[in-house]
Amino acid sequence: MDRRQFVASVAALPFLQQRPRSNPPLRVASMDWALAETMIALGHDPIAIVAAADWNRYVVEPPLPRGVADLGLHPEINFELLATLAPDLILTSPFVQDLEPVLQRIAPVQRISIFEKSAVPLAQPREVTRVLGDSLGRTDAARSLLATADQAFDGYRQRVRALHPLPVLLVNFIDARHVRVYGGAGLYQNVLDRIGITNAWTRETNYWGYSTVGIETLATDTDLRLIAFEPVPPDAQSTLARSPLWSHLPFVRAGHVSVLPSVLMFGAIPSALRFARLLVGHLERLSR
Amino acid sequence: MTIPKAYRKPYILAVALAVLALGTAIVLVAEPVRDLLASRVNPEPYDIERMVLLYATLPRLSMAFLAGAALAASGAILQQVLRNPLASPTTLGIDAGARLAIAVTTLFIPSLIGFGRDIVALTGSALSTLLVFFLVRRRGFSALAIVLAGLVIGLYCGAASALLVLLKDRILASLFIWGSGSLSQQSWDPFLSLLGRLALAVIPVLLIIRPLSLLDLDDDSVRALGLPVKKLRVAAVAIAAALSAFVTSAVGVIGFIGLVAPVIARLSGARRFGERLWWSTVMGGCLLLLTDATLQILAGVTAEFVPTGAVTAVIGSPLLLLLLPRLKVAARPSATATPQTAQAFSVSTVVIVGTLGFLLLVGLAVLAGRGPYGEWQISSLAQLDYVITWRLPRIVAAASAGALLGTAGLILQRVTGNEMASPEVLGVSAGAILAVTLALFVFGALDVFWRDVAGMAGGIGVLGLLVTLGSRSSISPEKVLLGGVALSALIDAVVGVLSATGDPRAFLLLGWMSGTTGGTTVAGALAAGLAAAVLISVSVLPSRWLAILPLGDSPARAVGLSLGRSRFLLLFLAAVLTAAATPIIGPLTFVGLMAPHIVQAAGIRRPLACVFGSAIAGAGVMTVADWVARTAAYPVQLPTGLVAAMVGAPFLMILLNRRVATA
Repeated sequence: MDRRQFVASVAALPFLQQRPRSNPPLRVASMDWALAETMIALGHDPIAIVAAADWNRYVVEPPLPRGVADLGLHPEINFELLATLAPDLILTSPFVQDLEPVLQRIAPVQRISIFEKSAVPLAQPREVTRVLGDSLGRTDAARSLLATADQAFDGYRQRVRALHPLPVLLVNFIDARHVRVYGGAGLYQNVLDRIGITNAWTRETNYWGYSTVGIETLATDTDLRLIAFEPVPPDAQSTLARSPLWSHLPFVRAGHVSVLPSVLMFGAIPSALRFARLLVGHLERLSR
Repeated sequence: MTIPKAYRKPYILAVALAVLALGTAIVLVAEPVRDLLASRVNPEPYDIERMVLLYATLPRLSMAFLAGAALAASGAILQQVLRNPLASPTTLGIDAGARLAIAVTTLFIPSLIGFGRDIVALTGSALSTLLVFFLVRRRGFSALAIVLAGLVIGLYCGAASALLVLLKDRILASLFIWGSGSLSQQSWDPFLSLLGRLALAVIPVLLIIRPLSLLDLDDDSVRALGLPVKKLRVAAVAIAAALSAFVTSAVGVIGFIGLVAPVIARLSGARRFGERLWWSTVMGGCLLLLTDATLQILAGVTAEFVPTGAVTAVIGSPLLLLLLPRLKVAARPSATATPQTAQAFSVSTVVIVGTLGFLLLVGLAVLAGRGPYGEWQISSLAQLDYVITWRLPRIVAAASAGALLGTAGLILQRVTGNEMASPEVLGVSAGAILAVTLALFVFGALDVFWRDVAGMAGGIGVLGLLVTLGSRSSISPEKVLLGGVALSALIDAVVGVLSATGDPRAFLLLGWMSGTTGGTTVAGALAAGLAAAVLISVSVLPSRWLAILPLGDSPARAVGLSLGRSRFLLLFLAAVLTAAATPIIGPLTFVGLMAPHIVQAAGIRRPLACVFGSAIAGAGVMTVADWVARTAAYPVQLPTGLVAAMVGAPFLMILLNRRVATA
């Protein structure tokens, strides 16, 4: 055993101990957060992911298991470290496919598309779950994850029906003058469709389901609830308070403005569940 | 191409621009205003159209005129005081200082942003301007020193904020919008506070018009007239910096108005400085108003968010390119004469000492690294195969690119006699970025091979353009530089728009542009090394020209040099060197700016020694940068190209600070 193999096996220890099985589970590195969160939900933790340091801030749940190595950032993957960890399989998405020629020098690569437009809500996250389940030898876990998710979404749908909520406008404040507003084919829109909430933003978005606009674009006389995801820039509230355009908006006057914790926009089933739970929970607290 | 003298009156163009701008603005607001007047009779409780007109559209149009006018005035003053047609608020690092201040406060002290984003930006601009003054204080605040220091500080702050953005793209999304200047408004507050701040600057500007007009003469004649040149320069730069910093703090970076408006004013026949300042201000205001009103009319057509600041550059760059043939670059008193120091190292000393030093660096870079748990370690023989597969290739590639760019930078600075010249001003990198961007958006994600093919093709395209330009007439280096600056600004703007929309592909592009070396293969490294060896050998051949050209046109002609041909061949060579480096390290060519200055500061003067010296300095900077990029934030890997600017710029600042002090 040379030093490299030794280092690799030491790095692998936590995972080997976690799941003593007859067939050692595949050691998988993921270049994409949506794939990583689905893996964790399937009970098969990745050994390494990109940008692990930011996970707890943007993905939040499922929490990142201890010992998952941080491969750094998309444009500059730490290939030295990845090679040392000697994975059996590397997962990529079309977004990072330019890395594949290099990744293939380390281990076989499987590309899974996490974002496709479709008529059925959440079709692509479901597909991702099934494909990953098959690749990891966890077909049953994938099936039960989807069944649990469906049950949960049906439950949320019923609770929403009881609430008769206003249409929602989902935004991220970028600074005190601009927001990113969500709709189109994005994950949030998919969840809204699935649980039966109307999106107040009906205008066009980019391919990924969001638009960057000046705040004056949000002006409307219809009543709605504005939901801003964290983080909200510290100067947004005070600046907007001084804007007659903003403070006279009917939905602002009515106090229909909420802030929700961050949810991964390019996420899969786990992020979709998190968003539905946070949103419905929040709306229910408001109606009490 | 001549315009009859009678038509060359600045007010004709200014009036035309004003009519066009106002006309467009009126088209924009006509309908809401009519409705507003009609609804006076029975106003609705919340009339959206009225609120948007009163608190979004009108403040925005007013802001556009005010910002454009102030930026143009700032540019006109800077071009006059620094005697450089390339000078603009952006080249002095004023924007970059503000950008870095916003990035750092957003990440580390967000409560300060709550206190006021504009205050943070202003502080950043002020600090970077003070740093410029500090660096040039011992060099008599000479125009050249100010430009150079501004450029270096701009590079440094720009690279630092780009790194922060790459590390924390989600938190810093606001920087993208800020960096491409959105004029979007929701109240009159920002306009009124900008108006108040700019009003403070009016009297100082009026006071310096007369003394500044005298600067058309050279420094000595001005001094003979009894003018305190140093004080005047500091005052003028400070006022110009304040004008542009006020605008930047209010709306972000509006590219190009500050550069293009004074150029147009000059071309339209404004002779004296006072005239140029006045007409630049008017035209700058009208230009930005026209751009923004047009943009607002078109905004309904597309769902994409397009910030005005980026659009000014998209419109302004081709305009500058079109105007180039008519721009008379006045033969100004040569500003490049640097004091010759007595020491002049021989070629062999430079080569031997340089090579030894470089090899030492490479050795350290290869051996020292960090293990899987982040611990520092020296590689052992057992890791040899792993070092050869992953580590050595990226070091060789980075060093080769550094050598290529260092040489290209030296040639460019010698040919153009402009110390600001760096490979990217040739437009080769811009061509490469444009081609990669197009390919990325037409074909979706790209693998490394096709990306490099696209990059090369773009670079070669610009080369071809250069060849056609060069074969037509004797090539004017100033025009090549201006053309390159225009092209680069165009590219920046395109990338700026992409990033501001939040398009994920923009991140792929930014990643590539920041200069990555991570996945370099052994074959790739060998190819890079070979390209560097061959092209640098070729660059040694015309070193005699490099000695003669900076002396000026007449001495060069006197020794029988064909100016047009030699300049063209050298520019072409620099372009080839740059094009060869682009697929290796991406389009970031800071190192090409730095290497010749490092060589000069080291006291190397002989042309041949300078060629070798610049190649070695470039390679050295990139080797250090690559090592820092690999180890500093382990396990996170930083982009080598950006780190090169971070490593090289402070070094250059120290040299700048020291150089004349010892002479």
